[in-house]
Amino acid sequence: MTKKRTNEEWSHDLNTSGEVQEAAIADLRDLLLRAVLFFFSRNLGDFERLGRDEILQLADDCAQDALIAVMNHLSEFRGDSKFTTWAYKFAINIALMTARRERWRGKSLEQLSFYNNSTRFEWIRQNGSSGLIPDRSVVQDEIRDIIQQVIEHELTDKQRQVLMMMIFNDVPIDVVVQQLGTNRNAVYKLLHDARRKLKSSLQARGFEVSELLALFSEPG
Amino acid sequence: MEHDRFENWLRNIYNTQDEEISCTECLDLVSSFVDLEISGQDTIAKMPKLKQHLGQCHACRDEYKSLRDLRRLEEQGGMPSLDDLQKLIR
Repeated sequence: MTKKRTNEEWSHDLNTSGEVQEAAIADLRDLLLRAVLFFFSRNLGDFERLGRDEILQLADDCAQDALIAVMNHLSEFRGDSKFTTWAYKFAINIALMTARRERWRGKSLEQLSFYNNSTRFEWIRQNGSSGLIPDRSVVQDEIRDIIQQVIEHELTDKQRQVLMMMIFNDVPIDVVVQQLGTNRNAVYKLLHDARRKLKSSLQARGFEVSELLALFSEPG
Repeated sequence: MEHDRFENWLRNIYNTQDEEISCTECLDLVSSFVDLEISGQDTIAKMPKLKQHLGQCHACRDEYKSLRDLRRLEEQGGMPSLDDLQKLIR
């Protein structure tokens, strides 16, 4: 049974030594393992290639990694949340990253990172040809052209590659991080810069979001 | 690209800010954000940059939702025991 502690008690017990610290670390590890298992139990589809014992072992590994992360960041705990909420976030972060990578393990990403303008905007073309609103397809074509121009000519190779994987093919950021040998902040920044270029080009041509969403909403 | 995803992507393009917080900054702040939400406070007013990041970053949004659900479970009477959770793993 995990002992209930206040934030101050968690900080004190984990920062001390001897039996008090050992008991606090054991309690914390129990909480982190339960957090990981809570998440794994809701996402078993991500682990379909693994047996039960392998999943439990993976959960144990995640809890251990989360414990190390919590102890390494202990001095950064400011007390502006419950200590357990603060600690759980490390377990959740590691558990989700593990699940995403497990789901995509063995899948080839090579084809998913290249831009192919003949297929990427199929939906826009189909919708544009419905003819329910006479000028609609013309404007949709214009927007599609702007987006294609930006993707083809204004994005860097890395921005285009990340955009293709994450936005067009739904590859999770942690898998992209692994593929590119970089970190999550760098991948987020690549995508952020790509969005800024697209926004700027669309606004420069006079398009605003409400107008675009109305234009692309499905008829009926 | 499917229609719903394209529409969400357009929204994300238009909700893009010149300065956005990183995933590391999001992870740093998300526990405070969740506890504010659990206690019924206005998270958008108190932490707008984090809210904006969650709108843009699928991975951080998933982590936020899982953390929030875990805390709600605690508030409603506690997390299941280790034994019960292990039994859920088939």
